[in-house]
Amino acid sequence: MNAPPTFESFLLFENEKKIIKELDTKVPNASIFTINKEDHTLGNMIRNQVLKDPTVMFAGYKVPHPLEHKFVLRIQTNGYCTPQEVLSNAITDLIAELSLFEERFRDSLREKREGLE
Amino acid sequence: MPYANQPSVHIADLTAECIKFQVEDTDLSVANSLRRVFIAETPTLAIDWVQLEANSTVLSDEYIASRVGLIPLTSDEVVDRMAYSRDCSCVDFCPECSVEFTLDVRCSDDQTRLVTSADLKSSDPHVVPVTSRNRDADATEYGETDDILIVKLRKGQELKLRAFAKKGFGKEHAKWNPTASVGFEYDPDNAFRHTLFPKPEEWQKSEYSELDEDQYEAPYNWEGKPNKFFFTVESCGALKPENIVLNGVNHLKNKLSDLQTFLASLDKPDIHDPHDPHGEALAIL
Ligand SMILES: [Zn+2]
Repeated sequence: MNAPPTFESFLLFENEKKIIKELDTKVPNASIFTINKEDHTLGNMIRNQVLKDPTVMFAGYKVPHPLEHKFVLRIQTNGYCTPQEVLSNAITDLIAELSLFEERFRDSLREKREGLE
Repeated sequence: MPYANQPSVHIADLTAECIKFQVEDTDLSVANSLRRVFIAETPTLAIDWVQLEANSTVLSDEYIASRVGLIPLTSDEVVDRMAYSRDCSCVDFCPECSVEFTLDVRCSDDQTRLVTSADLKSSDPHVVPVTSRNRDADATEYGETDDILIVKLRKGQELKLRAFAKKGFGKEHAKWNPTASVGFEYDPDNAFRHTLFPKPEEWQKSEYSELDEDQYEAPYNWEGKPNKFFFTVESCGALKPENIVLNGVNHLKNKLSDLQTFLASLDKPDIHDPHDPHGEALAIL
């Protein structure tokens, strides 16, 4: 009877921030982003895209605990770009990729349907 | 977008309940996110609120409510323009955020009466149990139907209920999962050795295998990486298979652009809006 509410994995608590940025003070040009109410679906995809940027020296993500619905993304750059810019570019690239996927999927669907008729 | 992939798509097979397609020139992480989104985050409708007005059946109210919730409802036409009831401005339910169902069955014969999904009466002709769609007069002539059994009634027993279907997704409850299964594979001949078969000849070959009859595994490719992904998305009926893919991709794109918005708002100093002291307008994004 003490099960957490089922929406806990995707609805932000009151006053909870979607994304928190902290500076990693131990090394230069490094930030730690905590993204709340997201999981491997975004975490893995974003980390992978961030790693393609040549200004990135390190990128990694973790889901610290399976019952806490968040992931932590750490990015360190060589200083030509800030970690936040790099993250923003990665998200833009992923949206572009998915848009192209959607467009080509629709084209393929149209072809398939015309072929069926 | 300097580092964006340019994936190509090929739909190999499309039926009313299943789509097979291949995506090339994308990353494993992106393909896997698509798979995860189809299963857990593509919205559909399912009954989520049940009021039992009469229940003298052998099953408890909770059991009936659970079974009614699990019936897939055709959602293609309405799910996009429907609101989540938690975001809706109405007090509890309204046509913007829900579809009402009623069921009223009494058994007065000696014969056992089957209460099925066909007894659920919908207030919206677009949203019906999947087994009730295209219900023509001749479909039941053969006696056999595939209606989903809810409970069996003996003489004198009765089941009467009112229910609301709401928009939701699989992360909250599996009844909103639009897929029956999602097949996902790459490297059909195991050239990367991401899995190790002690005896490859004992394992069935992939339907996408390019090997000869007498070969069981491709030679080891130590430098390759996954590039072509074979999807098989089978629908449970709530959404057409192609709509699972299209709605899923859209949902994933929205997640990313929402995150982009939040990321951009990090740079702005905390804006204290007197009408929105908790920043809820942003939280809804
Ligand atoms: Zn409403």
